[in-house]
Amino acid sequence: MAYTSALTIRYLKTIGIVNNGSNGRGFANPYDVAFGADDEIFVLNRCDPARRSGIRVGVCNIDEEYLYEFGYGFGDGEGQMTLPVAMAFDSEGRLLVTDEHTNRINIYSKKGDVIGKWGVKGDLEGEFHGPAGIAVDSQGLVYVSDQRNHRIQKYTSEGEFLSQWGTKGANEAEFNLPWGIGVDTSDNIYVADWRNDRVQIFDSSGQYIQAIGDFGEGQETLNRPSGVSVDKKGNIYVTDWGNERLQVYDSSGQFISSMRGEATLSEWAKEFFESNQDEMETRGISNLNPDIPDHLNTPYHISSQTESYFWGPVSVRIDSNNRLYVVESNRHRIQIYQIG
Amino acid sequence: MSENVSIMAHLMRRAGFGATRNELEVCLDDGYEYTVEKLLNPGESNHMPDDIIRRYHVDQSELRQLDGAGSYWLYRMLTTNNPLEEKLALFWHGLFATGYAKLNQARALLNQIDMFRQYGFGSFRELLIELSKDPAMILWLDNNENHKEAINENYGRELLELFSMGIGNYSEEDIKECAKAFTGWTLGNAEYMSVRASKDSIWPYGRIAWHYEYRADDHDGSEKKFLGKEGNFNGEDIVDIIVAQEATANFLSTRLFQYFASDEVDADGEFVISEMMQAYFESGYKVSAVLRSLFNSDYFKSEKCMYSRVKGPVESVVGTARLAGTYQEPTLDVHSLWAQTMFMGQGLLAPPTVEGWHEGVEWIDSGSLVERINFAAKELSDPTKEGVKDIIHRVTAAQKDLSDSEKLVDSCLDFMGPIQVEADTREGLIQFAESQGVVRTEEGYPDQSGSTQIARLIGMIASTREYQLA
Repeated sequence: MAYTSALTIRYLKTIGIVNNGSNGRGFANPYDVAFGADDEIFVLNRCDPARRSGIRVGVCNIDEEYLYEFGYGFGDGEGQMTLPVAMAFDSEGRLLVTDEHTNRINIYSKKGDVIGKWGVKGDLEGEFHGPAGIAVDSQGLVYVSDQRNHRIQKYTSEGEFLSQWGTKGANEAEFNLPWGIGVDTSDNIYVADWRNDRVQIFDSSGQYIQAIGDFGEGQETLNRPSGVSVDKKGNIYVTDWGNERLQVYDSSGQFISSMRGEATLSEWAKEFFESNQDEMETRGISNLNPDIPDHLNTPYHISSQTESYFWGPVSVRIDSNNRLYVVESNRHRIQIYQIG
Repeated sequence: MSENVSIMAHLMRRAGFGATRNELEVCLDDGYEYTVEKLLNPGESNHMPDDIIRRYHVDQSELRQLDGAGSYWLYRMLTTNNPLEEKLALFWHGLFATGYAKLNQARALLNQIDMFRQYGFGSFRELLIELSKDPAMILWLDNNENHKEAINENYGRELLELFSMGIGNYSEEDIKECAKAFTGWTLGNAEYMSVRASKDSIWPYGRIAWHYEYRADDHDGSEKKFLGKEGNFNGEDIVDIIVAQEATANFLSTRLFQYFASDEVDADGEFVISEMMQAYFESGYKVSAVLRSLFNSDYFKSEKCMYSRVKGPVESVVGTARLAGTYQEPTLDVHSLWAQTMFMGQGLLAPPTVEGWHEGVEWIDSGSLVERINFAAKELSDPTKEGVKDIIHRVTAAQKDLSDSEKLVDSCLDFMGPIQVEADTREGLIQFAESQGVVRTEEGYPDQSGSTQIARLIGMIASTREYQLA
């Protein structure tokens, strides 16, 4: 648990289990979550090449019921995805999914019907080169981080281009392969400026406000941030992908806390062990939080050997109940925390 | 072609994956011996950054299975500025062959390759100690089952037979004593990790990587007799005794000679090996000193040594892709590239047995030869690829009269290597060039179809027998 007098972040539970088949319960390199109107949790499964035919969105709830899923296969055909990155519901309740390979946004109904798409490859206004993060503001306007064009683009919910800002660089309002996007209650835009190791904050018209972070492995720094979300009080949560952790800042950008993860067994994981006693027994005599030799003493290697820690945290999102979801691509699960 | 260019290209084929003409010109400016030193003392590799790879390829971040791990290593080979670092890691991977099939743990295998990068040029003593502590090796050869009360000889036997001295230089008793000395050398959470490996379990949250652990309470601390010496030996002491043996110097020098110089060892080769052995002892067992002795020998630079080895599948694929200038950015196609090495008989991180791959002419059978030719020809006959464009540009600049097929062929052979071919091969290439007609030009430079003609000729050269030789 992390806390200050004004903020507590309490671990709630873990949802997930690795999915080795094409479809069904479990996750396959999850990359983002979005929340439906009925407390449904939509999980975007990017899938590795071996399981790419199962590329899909899975839907479950906080009680770990796996409700349904939809996907149309790997590729660039109607409704298909190749390298999906992020997703968000628009003001009409439609799910927008970015795909950094096909350079488009796919639009689905919450039940998975294909509604449409927009985007083509290019560097002109409205075009994409590796669209990554996506967020929708209170007015229903859509923001997309256009990764390899190093800019943010703003659209109507119908995909009509409105404006853009940013170019490649490391100065204010410049970007280097931006990834996740968050929006606060004032419709300010928070961009995980991935290869500049910072989060940049803009107003909804793209005017620069401030930046958070500095490269490094120190407590307050960022190393390749992937996702960013803001709670109702303005506290900022950043998945610090290169350091395999979650960083928390207050609304002024002051560092509050650093979290490494504390995953436990999901209900799905418990069911697995019930029928695999040999693994459960040997697991019982193991230390899953081991001391790692010096040559493997990097966040990535530590997370690869420490099951409860975040490994490949690619997105952080907050639902309407003030629950914080950290999506771990390498561990096929979501750690959930209660913000108080 | 000048002799210097030819020898430098030979060095880069053997100590790396070949060189583009741009790279070769830098080496020529540096000189041969300086280039050898640069190869032996790698600086910043400037390979494609891990964060860029991991963001694009989820499989190369998670490393759940073999294909992602093999593709990752290919990226390193394709984009490194330190080709010998990767080529030597590949040598150790073949010598200390550790395979995915039994381990089901790709991260641990790539950690082993990292260890080869770190220790591969240094003291053979340190390398053998790190190898003995390597979790992938421990599980691969069952040292996690080597206990004080019940030894398992597997690692002890292979350490002597396959990794250091060779059969005939030790007794069965030495094997037992060696195994005893390595009791307690295991991996963290050995019981759980062993069960997971045997079941290929990814549950519930994917793979859990491995690290070395020494269990003092499971170590046999009794007196041991090993290779004529007596003492309360632990694993490090055993390695100390092994590396001081002449048989070890001979074994290591011979294997390095066969990998970097020639598949066959004749009388001249025996002399080079004796010098390599001397360098081994004089340097305190340093692998870099042994290699320096080899690369700077007259034998290595001789006509006899050139083109005397069949390229291995990985060096063939990587060399061709580097020449074509491809795979410099993340691409989904890297999985096909990895698959190519499998089809040609050398799956990275998946050697067939603990003995590694059978090299030399055994690389070639009718199936793998077709794969090699098709891959190289396809990769190099595309005039839009940066490396091919550069060759065409150089050929055009050097050879103003593109209508002379003989000169066109010689020029392409020059800028692709240089590559030396037999007279009948050259004749066949000239006939092919003539069959395409005169290269179409516009103001003295090949137009689009002219570039395609030259690229086809380049692809045809990549289809020759000589292109498969290093």
